[in-house]
Amino acid sequence: MTRFIIITALLLFAAGPVAASGVPASPALFEALEKTAGGVRTLSSDFVQEKHLSMFKTVMSSKGRFYFSKPDLLRWEMTAPVASGFVLKGDKGRRWHERTGRTENFLISQEPVMKLVSEQLFAWAKADFAWLRKEYRIAVLGESPVALRLEPRSAATAGFLNHLLIAFSADGRYVRSVELHEKDGDFTRIRFVNTMVNKQLPADLF
Amino acid sequence: MTVPSFTLFERLYRYFSARRRLLFGATLLVIALSLFATSRLRIQEDIVAMLPDDSSSVAEDFRLMQLAPFTKKLVITLKGGEAEDTEALIAAADALAQELRSADIGLVTTGPADLDGSFFSWLGAVLPSLSTNDDLALLADASTPAQVQSRLRDGYEQLLSPAGWALKGKIQSDPLSFSDLALEKLRFLNLIPNMRLVRNHFVSADGRSALLMVDSSVSMTDSAGSRVLLDRIDAAVAAAVPAGMNATVVSGHRYTLVNAETIKRDLYVVLTLSIVAVFAIYLFFLRSMSAIFVFLVPSAILAIASGAMALWVPQLFAVTLGFGGVLLGIVDEYAMMIYFSCRQGGRDPAVITGEVSRPVLFGAMATLLSFGVMLLSSLPGQRQLAVYSMTGIVAALIVSLVVLPHLIKPAPEGRLPLAGLMRNWRLPRRAVLGVWLVLLALCAWQATKIRFNGDLRAVSMVTPELQEAEDELVRTWGDMRGKALLFAEGKDLEAALALNDRLFNRISGLIPAGELVSLAPLLPSAALQRENGERWLNFWQQGRAARLDQDLAREGQAYGFSKAAFAPFLSTLGDAPPAATIEGLRRAGMGELADSLIVQSPGVVRVLTLVPDTPELVAVLSEDLKDLPGVRLVSQSRFGDNVGRAIIHDFTRYLGLTSVLVLGLLVIVFRNPARILLVLVPVVTGMVCMLGIMGMLGLEFNIFNIAASILIIGLCVDYGIFMVCRLTEGTDHVANRSVLVSGLTTLAGLGALALARHPSMHSIGITVLLGIGTGIPAALLVIPALCNKGMVDNVDDVDGMEPKK
Repeated sequence: MTRFIIITALLLFAAGPVAASGVPASPALFEALEKTAGGVRTLSSDFVQEKHLSMFKTVMSSKGRFYFSKPDLLRWEMTAPVASGFVLKGDKGRRWHERTGRTENFLISQEPVMKLVSEQLFAWAKADFAWLRKEYRIAVLGESPVALRLEPRSAATAGFLNHLLIAFSADGRYVRSVELHEKDGDFTRIRFVNTMVNKQLPADLF
Repeated sequence: MTVPSFTLFERLYRYFSARRRLLFGATLLVIALSLFATSRLRIQEDIVAMLPDDSSSVAEDFRLMQLAPFTKKLVITLKGGEAEDTEALIAAADALAQELRSADIGLVTTGPADLDGSFFSWLGAVLPSLSTNDDLALLADASTPAQVQSRLRDGYEQLLSPAGWALKGKIQSDPLSFSDLALEKLRFLNLIPNMRLVRNHFVSADGRSALLMVDSSVSMTDSAGSRVLLDRIDAAVAAAVPAGMNATVVSGHRYTLVNAETIKRDLYVVLTLSIVAVFAIYLFFLRSMSAIFVFLVPSAILAIASGAMALWVPQLFAVTLGFGGVLLGIVDEYAMMIYFSCRQGGRDPAVITGEVSRPVLFGAMATLLSFGVMLLSSLPGQRQLAVYSMTGIVAALIVSLVVLPHLIKPAPEGRLPLAGLMRNWRLPRRAVLGVWLVLLALCAWQATKIRFNGDLRAVSMVTPELQEAEDELVRTWGDMRGKALLFAEGKDLEAALALNDRLFNRISGLIPAGELVSLAPLLPSAALQRENGERWLNFWQQGRAARLDQDLAREGQAYGFSKAAFAPFLSTLGDAPPAATIEGLRRAGMGELADSLIVQSPGVVRVLTLVPDTPELVAVLSEDLKDLPGVRLVSQSRFGDNVGRAIIHDFTRYLGLTSVLVLGLLVIVFRNPARILLVLVPVVTGMVCMLGIMGMLGLEFNIFNIAASILIIGLCVDYGIFMVCRLTEGTDHVANRSVLVSGLTTLAGLGALALARHPSMHSIGITVLLGIGTGIPAALLVIPALCNKGMVDNVDDVDGMEPKK
């Protein structure tokens, strides 16, 4: 009997973490997501960002607009509390800041942090699961709508990023929210609202 | 008259007359053993042969130059197309690196070690130990209330951006960007001037080229290994580099290979020409089957000398073996003298051998003295050459005087080919002397115009492709291989770093940061770091840290920062700072760079600093650093000049000493000033005319011209001895014939080198062609023209001259 209790307890403990971190994602799920997102040519969305950082007394909130056009155009524009943002076009970029009135061009390849940011943003906008699976171990937290948990494979990224939580829209065509959880417990949540798919975007946005 | 002779060789002839089989068998055995030993000889195509190996500054400079960061590396520039596509370039660089690694050619690098956050964390942590007085003044400016407000606002806005999560740690530990100061120190570690890092890859400033470096175990001077290495690299390039891109390799291996292959091609052409020409000369002048033995003697000597060297040294310098041709030119005249004397016959061959041995031995002694002096040289190649040549000459004497007389049968009735032509060849002596004097005067005047070029590069083969690759490397990456080196030397790392600190203080004001590469700003000595750390603590403990704490709390509150937001930063202002160490640098990913600039050997540590190698700066530093014992400046451009000067000094000393010794020998042998002067006529004529004609044609005199001058002295003195012995002691007409035929074969054999493409062989060829080409007529025509009755006993029988009135 004692032996039975111990084995049952071990099984329960072993099952616990699996349930918390989800089950490994199947290739079929990625294929379905890629197929659904494959029809997306443009995206435009409002976003609301909440930063839960221990170095701040309160949650840092900001909002703005996000635009994406295949294959490699992206605009991230914060409207409050500080008007600023950047545009990415292939390897080139341009950033601006309303308070300073400064606008500057840059090369993504020369700015490691922007390189990291652009890789993430493009990967989610394009649903590039080939790249994501190379960079992260992916587990499925829910299938309808799809919710994923990603843990970085590289030690360098794992040094500051613990995991990502991604929630897709009900139709699976775009990302509804992203959470970046850091090693020290801090996290950032970005919610995308009023998302419009395949809407014609003005050329001067990029 | 009685001809003086050495009876030893006469007796030896008689002894072996009855034991010829034994003599020939023993000779063949020695040659066979020599050939076997020669086959085991390894050739060392090494510039070390021409560099002093004593304790001179040149030798030490050469050893130190090998420690420069890029000296032993192969540098591969991968060039993309016209359009800048950094991603494609990096992908191609990675593919090529992978292919090269698969080819097992050594350690392949496409960028520095992964510079993740650990490097910047380390830099931030040790900053207090690196901060100088000037740095603290900058920090005071960066921590005013206005700066605090501005920096916190920037930090807050950065944290709101998507990039914020990657910058959080930095803002927390360094809200006022003190690390900018540390990054400024990194500017002194830029080993590749026009390089930027893109995703940890070396990429050129214009983004169109990527750099790969290979650390190979193949020695730069190993031509066979270089061939295999470069073939593997070519194959990897062909397999991995996509169309539209190209890869260029620059390394010492390519120079070695180009030089070795050029020499091989040259030797093929020159040897073919020489053999045909020498054979034609033999056919024309010798016309006998026994002439084959004369032809074989020098070849056998080469085998014997090389075999003897194989027993003495495991590796023979290529330059020594290359001088084998010179040896051929010297030793064939001994065989020629024996041949013509024996062919003329008419007397007991033993007596003939005894008679002819005298001029042959005198000539050989003069040549042995010339080469003997070279044993004193500081150049290992020269010393080896001396042993090689002296062995060959001794062997040639033995074979020519002991073996050869048994192989040559007298010609029917003692008639030699072209005897009539040789006897009836008469020129007016006044005309001969007039032309000679005018030529000598003209050449002596023109010789003053000759320019010496001691640069080793002047005798090295550099193809246009190689030069273009080198130029392209400098255009793309800056002058990464051509820096002058400053070594701060100490008995341990601390002592070397302390001296390096003093050196940096001395020169940092003279050279802009981007052009000066030094570890001193990032890794000062422990003593200086302690001093910096104490100064840092004092600086902040004067109330500054408390004020800054208040300012951060006040200004941070406006943006919502918590009170403890900057605690990690504030703790660095009051805690004893950690020291920067070489282990810390390695852990932070800078190990390769640190190892490039710190060279540790048993009992001595050298810290390397790189500066631009301009003559002006090198001159200034040479003067300024005199009072900094332990610091040594090695300029690559100045090194070439110094080597040249050392070699010229070596040879000048050698030429002087040889002249004195040869003159001494002549005095002992001839004891008559007039005869001695006569002997010197060919050598003086050859040397003056060679220098004069080169001056007239605007040819520079390089180290190989100097080396070939030895040959002119050796041969021309022999010609003089043969001719004067004949004229004064009556050894008949064979001397004329020997001088003429051996001179012609020397010209054919070595003068053909003038057609070589390789600068060193071409230089030897030109020197021999001019020196021997004028020395032979001087021996054959001028010596007889200068003879008078009082000096000689049989002057009326002088060949080529009218009888004196």
